[in-house]
Amino acid sequence: MAKVVVLGAGVSGHTCASFLKKKLGKKHEVVVVTPNSYYQWIPSNIWVGVGQMKIDDVRFELKKVYDRWGIVYKQAKALEIHPEGDASTGRGFVTIEYTDADNAGTRENVEYDYLVNATGPKLNFEATEGLGPDQNSYSVCTYSHAAHAWEHLQESIKKMQAGEKQRFLIGTGHAMATCQGAAFEYILNIAHEISTRGLSKMAQITWISNEYELGDFGMGGAFIKRGGYITPTKVFTESLLAEYGINWIRRAGVYKVEEGKAHYETLDGEDHVQEFDFAMLIPAFSGVGMTAFDREGNDITDTLFAPNKFMKVDGDYSQKPFEDWSADDWPSTYQNPTYGNIYAVGIAFAPPHAISKPMTSEKGRAIFPTPPRTGMPSGVMGKITALNIAERIHGATEHAHKASMSRMGAACIVSGGFGSFTGLGASMTVFPVVPDWDKYPEWGRDMKYSVGEAGLAGHWLKVLLHYLFFHKAKGYPFWWLIPE
Amino acid sequence: MNKYHIKAYFDEAYPPVPGKSTLFWRKFVPWQFIRFIILNVKMMRIVVGGHS
Repeated sequence: MAKVVVLGAGVSGHTCASFLKKKLGKKHEVVVVTPNSYYQWIPSNIWVGVGQMKIDDVRFELKKVYDRWGIVYKQAKALEIHPEGDASTGRGFVTIEYTDADNAGTRENVEYDYLVNATGPKLNFEATEGLGPDQNSYSVCTYSHAAHAWEHLQESIKKMQAGEKQRFLIGTGHAMATCQGAAFEYILNIAHEISTRGLSKMAQITWISNEYELGDFGMGGAFIKRGGYITPTKVFTESLLAEYGINWIRRAGVYKVEEGKAHYETLDGEDHVQEFDFAMLIPAFSGVGMTAFDREGNDITDTLFAPNKFMKVDGDYSQKPFEDWSADDWPSTYQNPTYGNIYAVGIAFAPPHAISKPMTSEKGRAIFPTPPRTGMPSGVMGKITALNIAERIHGATEHAHKASMSRMGAACIVSGGFGSFTGLGASMTVFPVVPDWDKYPEWGRDMKYSVGEAGLAGHWLKVLLHYLFFHKAKGYPFWWLIPE
Repeated sequence: MNKYHIKAYFDEAYPPVPGKSTLFWRKFVPWQFIRFIILNVKMMRIVVGGHS
């Protein structure tokens, strides 16, 4: 009997665990370790943040689903990885600490034959002074953050209804934050909600981003076919903001947030202050900060993890200039190069380098987005890792399934407002996620697969995906037929 | 200067914005239903290609 331990139950980890159990059945053990008691469908948090969905619309209890599937569920956070075991065992194990009310603080060593790190990001609010829902800005990174943001957004709406103008600042809260897409959805949804209440003239809405040009989204921007032209996503993005009456600040690295004030530096080295009444700013991400030890107890964290605390996998991590970056640098099996029975998927794997061109301000501050690894790519990585591990357990010696971000596409629907007949969704697809300038020298990507279209259909599609992915995540009949 | 809103000389003035017909077609349900089908097909091409 083999034992596979999955750390994390987000899109990547939950997908991985579900396919592992499906492929391995009762003969082998699948264990999920996650500090959360709920699964959350993060893309719909945006709608919680504008009051169009409740918290329970975007989450469900993991235990019920895992009990039904026969997956061992431990509500705990992983602290240490011991890939070689220790003096008492030659088997790799993870030290975990329970987070549920009954066992909080209790530690346990969980042995494994295969380990999947799908821990996602640490929301690193501390990297920006004064940032975060406990301090001077809001967040939509979790359902509780989004609900908190909605509480305060309602206060701003009431003030506008009472005749008091409000300033909104939405975007990235760190010079190297990623997830611009989520912030972009939120600003469009806020503008939509304000517009539907007839309050647009009472609001000054500003987008702030670390992107060199808008529409970069941490993937170096893209080109789409639109209206008979090949158009950069810069135009597509700016067009949506202009349509919604939103101003923007780009090339900005926010480094301090005070009550009602965001301090940022732009690439030209100048410092600025943007005042606000309501700010939702995405924090920097880092790995969750697990440590690793060898059999003798020596710290080998640097062997398993990159300096940003994300786990090293089969990518090319050699330092080289932007011009020498290649699509082949990107990992395809997500296997750790030192310990072959450890994998890292979703946000937890260390990207070999940024996708957007690194930019540094005249004062030396790096201001550019780090690569996104969320959504569809995360799910695909989770699935192929589950299939590869299951096949290894059944005797395979090679990885039959590969999913490099430079060989896979991504479909993204940016919500621009909620409503069956008044909503809007901007649908975008790119192939591949990481541009491959050798294979596609003209545009970096295959233009056959490019889509950029705004309309009600996009909103319907996003709502449909919400329910489809919940169906899949809850393991309802034929869940495996729904693609990632 | 205060009397008119001059649409130039700032970033927000330059991107294309949708005209009346585009806004109409974006919310016209029969047309959007067709686009919904087409978008589904286009998305599925990407999804199927993603599992290499």
